[in-house]
Amino acid sequence: MAENFEQHSDISAADLARLSQEAQAEATPSTAKIIWSEFKADRPAMVALFIIVGFIAFVMVGALFINTPKMMETNIMAYFNQPFTPEFWLGADSGGRSVAKQLIVGSRNSIGIAIGLTIVSSTFGICWGLISGYFNGYIDWGMQRVYDFMMMLPMTMMIIVLVTIIPHYNSVTLTFIFSIFYWEGTSRLIRSRTLAESEKDYVAASRTSGTSHWKIIFREIMPNISSLIIVDCTLSFAENIGVETGLSYLGFGLPSQTPSLGTMISNANDPNNITQYWWTWLPAALEIIILCLAISYVGQVLRRAADASQRQGAAD
Amino acid sequence: MSLIEIKDLKVHYPIRTGFWNRITDSVRAVDGITFNIEAGETYGLVGESGSGKSTTGKSVVGLEKVTSGSILYKGQDITKADNRRKLDYNRDVQMIFQDSLSSLNPRKRIEDIIAEPLRNFEHLSKDDEKLRVLQLLDIVGLDADALYKYPHQFSGGQRQRIGVARAVATNPKLIIADEPVSALDLSVQAQVLNFMKKIQREFGISYLFISHDLGVVRHMCNNIAIMNRGRLVEIGTRDDIYNHPLHIYTKRLLAAIPETNVNQREAHRASRLAVEKVYQEQQSKYYDDDGEAYPLVQITKTHAVALPQALAQQLATQEGEVQA
Repeated sequence: MAENFEQHSDISAADLARLSQEAQAEATPSTAKIIWSEFKADRPAMVALFIIVGFIAFVMVGALFINTPKMMETNIMAYFNQPFTPEFWLGADSGGRSVAKQLIVGSRNSIGIAIGLTIVSSTFGICWGLISGYFNGYIDWGMQRVYDFMMMLPMTMMIIVLVTIIPHYNSVTLTFIFSIFYWEGTSRLIRSRTLAESEKDYVAASRTSGTSHWKIIFREIMPNISSLIIVDCTLSFAENIGVETGLSYLGFGLPSQTPSLGTMISNANDPNNITQYWWTWLPAALEIIILCLAISYVGQVLRRAADASQRQGAAD
Repeated sequence: MSLIEIKDLKVHYPIRTGFWNRITDSVRAVDGITFNIEAGETYGLVGESGSGKSTTGKSVVGLEKVTSGSILYKGQDITKADNRRKLDYNRDVQMIFQDSLSSLNPRKRIEDIIAEPLRNFEHLSKDDEKLRVLQLLDIVGLDADALYKYPHQFSGGQRQRIGVARAVATNPKLIIADEPVSALDLSVQAQVLNFMKKIQREFGISYLFISHDLGVVRHMCNNIAIMNRGRLVEIGTRDDIYNHPLHIYTKRLLAAIPETNVNQREAHRASRLAVEKVYQEQQSKYYDDDGEAYPLVQITKTHAVALPQALAQQLATQEGEVQA
């Protein structure tokens, strides 16, 4: 059978190296290159990227050098110490604990939970949506009823209840508790696009080419909805920072001796702190705003890179 | 023995209505059709849109769930997924799609697109696979630098040729061509059709050529089946269909072919209107009480038409007299 092709084409094994080199020269740039040129074309996004990467790296490394239990000890001598002093860069809170150090450890905790939550819930939501949308029929019907049931549960109430009945919870268990409830939006979004995508001819072509269902779902359809997935992941990452902070602010997130952005913002519960001791809550609030803005900038660039018609970067 | 034998194929879609969403009726997209495709020939399937010709093609390639009837390949009924898997059926039967853009995955490079059936059926080494892809590109007249490009970087005609290359990759015995050129402009149509013919000569492939363009079908096909409302109304060789049409639907289709001879414009118009008049007035003669086509009756060895026996004979003799 190979002879059959040899007969009707002038190309033989001898030409292989030369031709693939020629093809390489004409090749379309790789995805990483496209994303990079897109960042170069958009300066604010470039700044945002450096802020995010730099900040996350800083808090992850910085938190290693801070002895958290010692930091969280009450020091009555430093009660609401003023900021911008050599010992307390960002002042101290009512327990005399350094706001700057709490900010570093707290950011590490909050961002860690947000990253973990985004990874776990998005992975699950994407798989659920893809499978449900692709197979359609009875499988879709069953999976969507599970989805409807989960949507019906009051999310915040359930999380608060679960948090109170689990005796020893830490950031890992908290991440999983959140993940139980945060995959749903993603899954519906992905399902609706998958329904449309799996009707297209290239899916039929893959099936007639003998490709298995799972390969079609994850290698054919998923890359084609990647722009949606990227945008959804970045947005839900920004949102997930808010989830943990919101719950910690209410007092149901991380335990109080573990600093997080939420526990720091909850300092603003006290009118005294809002008016006089602004340094106890303002840095954490600013950090969340800047981080979420920066993430959405980066998300926009990734979305443009994923969609050829929206690109602003140089062609090659 | 024929390559593919289609026997009484039916594809019905349920219509669900009412509070309980019960099946109350069905759309009969394909309603009992029977024909054979011989090795090495091009079989034309012609009809208006919605006549069920694409559904037939999809059933043959295994994309459509068949309601009843059978499609025999190597003596096995390939309407069952088990048999398809056992035979590696899609290695031998491939498909070319109408819309060249949507049939190529926009996120994959040309190399990966053409190599997809090879990876599933042939398991070649990396170098052999790349060589095969380069040869295929060469056969359909594309340069090697297409290898790492994406589908949107090609023109419609080039994309359709990539589709042809993918269909040919595993050296199949039958290719279902579902209106392969109807989305292309005329000069590119000719180019793609000629490549398809060239490949047929070189590899001995059969085509099931689905089209509504009778000019293209005449260029491509030896045997032709005319489809109307999910049933076959006329089967025959190219000569039978184009020169001795019997069913009114076939005559209507033929009358709709545009003529380039402007001097006889009036005459063409008159004959077109005459056929249309017969169609309007004698519908009850050509279709049964439910408005559906009759079962096929054999006129000659190659020619069959969906009419009551008596009428078919009468028309056939009339036709013979006109010819004489």
